[in-house]
Amino acid sequence: MTAVIETKSLSKWYGNVLGLSDVSLEIESGITGLLGPNGAGKSTFMKIVTGQMKPNIGRVTVAGQDVWNNFRLFSRIGFCPEQDAFYEDVTGWEFLTGLLRLAGYSGAEAAERATRALEIVQLTNDKDRKIRSYSRGMRQRVKFAQAVAHDPDIIILDEPLSGLDPLGKRRLIRLVKDFQSEGKTIIVSSHVLPEIEAMTSRIVMIHQGKILAQGDIHSIRDLIESYPHMISLRCGNPRAVAARFVSDTSILKMSFGPDGRSLVVETHKRDAFFSRLQSVVLEDGIEVEELTSPDDNLQAVFDYLVVK
Amino acid sequence: MKPNANPGGPSLWMSFRRVFAWFFFLGRKTGKSRVFLLLGLIPVATAVMARIFMPGRAEDVVAVFNEILIVFYVTFDIVILSLFYGTSIVAEETEGRTLSYLTTRPLSKTGIFLGKYAAYVTLMVLMVSASLFFSFFIMNGHRFRDLALYLTFLRYAGALGLGILAYTALFAFLGTFLKRAILVGLLFGFGWENVVQYFPGSTQKLSLVHYMKSLMPRRAAGGPFSILLFRLEPSKPAVAVLMLIVIAAAFVALACWLFRTKEYLYEE
Amino acid sequence: MATVREKGYYHWDGQLVERRFPWIPITRTGIMLAFKKRGFRFLFAGAFLPGIVFLGIIYISENLESFQAMVRGSDRLISITPGSFKTFLTFPPVLFLMIAMMVFAGSGLIADDLKHNSLQIYFSRPLRKKDYLMGKMAVVFFFILAVTLVPGLLVYVFKLIFAGNFKFFLSYPWLIFSIVGFSAFLAVFFAFYTLLLSSLSKNSRYVMVLVFMIYLFSDVLFGILQSIFRTPYMALFSIRANIDQVGALVFAQKPAHPVPVLWSCLVLGGICALSALVLNRKIRGVEVIR
Repeated sequence: MTAVIETKSLSKWYGNVLGLSDVSLEIESGITGLLGPNGAGKSTFMKIVTGQMKPNIGRVTVAGQDVWNNFRLFSRIGFCPEQDAFYEDVTGWEFLTGLLRLAGYSGAEAAERATRALEIVQLTNDKDRKIRSYSRGMRQRVKFAQAVAHDPDIIILDEPLSGLDPLGKRRLIRLVKDFQSEGKTIIVSSHVLPEIEAMTSRIVMIHQGKILAQGDIHSIRDLIESYPHMISLRCGNPRAVAARFVSDTSILKMSFGPDGRSLVVETHKRDAFFSRLQSVVLEDGIEVEELTSPDDNLQAVFDYLVVK
Repeated sequence: MKPNANPGGPSLWMSFRRVFAWFFFLGRKTGKSRVFLLLGLIPVATAVMARIFMPGRAEDVVAVFNEILIVFYVTFDIVILSLFYGTSIVAEETEGRTLSYLTTRPLSKTGIFLGKYAAYVTLMVLMVSASLFFSFFIMNGHRFRDLALYLTFLRYAGALGLGILAYTALFAFLGTFLKRAILVGLLFGFGWENVVQYFPGSTQKLSLVHYMKSLMPRRAAGGPFSILLFRLEPSKPAVAVLMLIVIAAAFVALACWLFRTKEYLYEE
Repeated sequence: MATVREKGYYHWDGQLVERRFPWIPITRTGIMLAFKKRGFRFLFAGAFLPGIVFLGIIYISENLESFQAMVRGSDRLISITPGSFKTFLTFPPVLFLMIAMMVFAGSGLIADDLKHNSLQIYFSRPLRKKDYLMGKMAVVFFFILAVTLVPGLLVYVFKLIFAGNFKFFLSYPWLIFSIVGFSAFLAVFFAFYTLLLSSLSKNSRYVMVLVFMIYLFSDVLFGILQSIFRTPYMALFSIRANIDQVGALVFAQKPAHPVPVLWSCLVLGGICALSALVLNRKIRGVEVIR
C-alpha cells in the first residue's frame, strides 16, 4: 500500500526545545492513532503535516506533494485543531458555511454540506446560536464538523474527543470508523489511551519528540522482548494449575490474586504457554472463568517503552 | 455530492475574493466596528451643532469643518482605525488562534492577506466616507448648487481613502512580524507623525501625515508662536497621491511576502 | 492505636487564616507581568526622564551663578514655585507617558482575565470582588505613583538640599501634601479609567486602542467644540484639560481655563463613578452568555 503521508527525518526546534526529533513515518489510508503524553510532539507533528509549520530538518509529503505553502492540497485535507478557538461572533451555521465558501463551494453547495455536517455532529437544532454560547462539547463538535464538511480524503484530528461526554465520544469514534470504511486516511491524536484503542490498533507512539514505536499494538507488544508477557487466568483452583507449570523453565514468575481464584503468570514464551495450558485444562477438566493478557494493551506497552 | 469545483486549486484572485467576502461579513458583525462607526458620528453631531449655533456664519462653519477634517479625520480617526484594523489582519488570527482555519483551506496565503486587507480597508473607507459625507454636506449645505463642492468632497474622500490604504498597509506590515505591533503603531501614529511635523525641510516627507495634509486645505498659522506650530511644506498633490499609493503598495507587498514565508506559532 | 493514612488527597483540618490584604498577590502578579514585557521596561525607564529633567532644572535654578554665562535674564525663567511642580505633573508628555504605560501594563488587567475565564478561578478563592478590584487597581497605582509621587518627592527633597535652607519649605509648607494628593488623584483616576476600558472587552489589543483613543479623542473633541462655541467650558470635554484644572486647584495656581474647577472634578469623578458601576456589573464569578 502506498503511503498517503510520508515524513523523512522530520525535526523541529522551538528555540532550544526539541519538538520533534528525526521522525520518519509512512502513514497509509485508514486510521492511525498518534499516541503520547502532553508535550510529546503530537500537535507539532500535525501542524507540520498540515503546513502550519515548517520542519527545521527533513521533509513531509502528503499525497506525494510538499505541504508547505501548497494550498492546493487543502481541498483534500481536513484539520481539526486542538485549540478551542473560533470566530466567536458568528453562529455555528455561519461558521461552517463561511469556511465552506472559503474552500470554494457555492452558496447552495456550502449550505448543503453544512447541513449534512451539522447533522453528523448533531448540532442542527443549535446552528443559529452564536458559537460563544455553545458548551465545550458543542464547540468541539462544530470544530470537527468544519474538518469534515468538505469531504476531504485526509483528515487530521488533534485531540478530537477532548471536552466530549462519553456518549459524544462514542458517536465521534463511530464516525471516524465510518470514514475509515470510506477509504479515507485519518490521523487521530490523543493522550488518552483507551480512546485510541477504541478507534484503531494501528498506532504511532511518540514521546519527547521521538517515535517510540509504530504499527499494530499487539505486534509492538510482541516485539518488546525485554519484558515478559503477563497472562492472567481465573478459575476454581489456580494452585492446581500453577503446580502443573512450576517445573516449566519458560515460566519466570507466578503469583496468586488476593481472592484465591486467579493466577498471574509471566513468561517469555507466550505461545508455548497457551499451547500447554490448553492441554492442562483439558486433561485436568479445569473450568476457566477468564483468560486475559493484562499487559497486552496500549497503556502497558507505552509504560514499557517509556521505561518508568 | 459534487467534489470541489476547482480541484486544481484557486487562483490568487479567487482566494482574494473568497477571503474578502468572509472578512467583510465578519468585520460588519463585530461590536468593535459598531464602536468605530459611532466614533464617526461625532463629527456629524458637531456639524449639526455648528449649523445650529453658528447661523449666518458660513465662512466660520467652513473653517470649523476644515479643522474637523485635519484634527479629527486626518490626524486621529484614520490613524486609529487603520492601526486597529491593520494590526488585526494577522494579530487577530494568531491571538484568536483561528489562523489554522484559513491556512488549511485551499487559499493562497497572499490571497488570504490581500483579501483581509481589502475587506478591512473597504469597511474603513465606508465608515469614514459616510461620516465625512454627512458632516461635509451639513456644514456646506448653503452650496448645494455649486459643482465645485462635490469635487471638493470627492477630493477629501479620496485623500482619506488613500490615507487609510497607506496607514493600514504600514500597520499590517508591522503586524506580520511584531508581537506588540499596536504599541509600535501607537508610537508611530501619535508620536512620530505628530513630532515630525515640527521639523523643517525634507524630514516631514518621512511621515504619512505630510502627504495627507498636502492634499487637504491649509490651516493658517499666526501669532508670535507661529514658528513653533507645525510647518507644512506641502508636496504637490500628484506627488502626494503617488507617494501614498507607492507606500501602500510597498508595505502590502512586504507584508504578503512575510506572511507567506513566516510560520506563526500560537502563544501557549 | 496507630492509623495508617492512604496515600493521596485528604482533607486538611486546619484553620484558614483570613489575610488582611488578600489582593496583594493579584497586584504583585500584575506588576511582574508588566515588567516581563521588554518594551515596557524601556517605557518605564523613559517615564522617569521628565523627572530627571525637572531635577536638572532645580539644580540649575539653585546654581544660577554658575550658569549665568549660559542663561540671560534667567532668574525669571527658572524660578521654582509650586507652579513648577504642577507643570511637571500635568505636562502633556508626562500624561502621554502615563497613558502609554496604561496601554502597556493596564489594558490586559481585566481583559485577559475575561478572555481566559479566570474570574471563576479568582472567586473560587476566599476573595471578594473588592479585593480583586483593589488588587488590579494597585497595579495601576504602583506605576502611576512611581512616575509622579516618587520623582515629585525626590525633586522636592533635592530642592531643599540644593538650596541648603528651608526657605522653600517655609514658603510653601502645604506643597508636599499637594504633591502627594495630586499624585494620588492621578493614580486613582487612571486606575478607574484603565480598568473601566479593560473590562469592556476580552480583546486586550482593542482595549489598548480604546485607552489611547478616548484620551486623545477627548482633546480632539475639545478643540473642535471650542472652534464652534468659543467658550472655555468646552475644556470639560478634555480629560487632559480637566486634569490640568484639578492640578491648578491642588497647587494653588490659576487654572488654564476660566471654568470652575469643581466642574472638572465632577467630570473626572463622573468617569470614576461610571467605572465603578460598570466594574461592579462586569466582575462576577459566573459568565452570563446571551
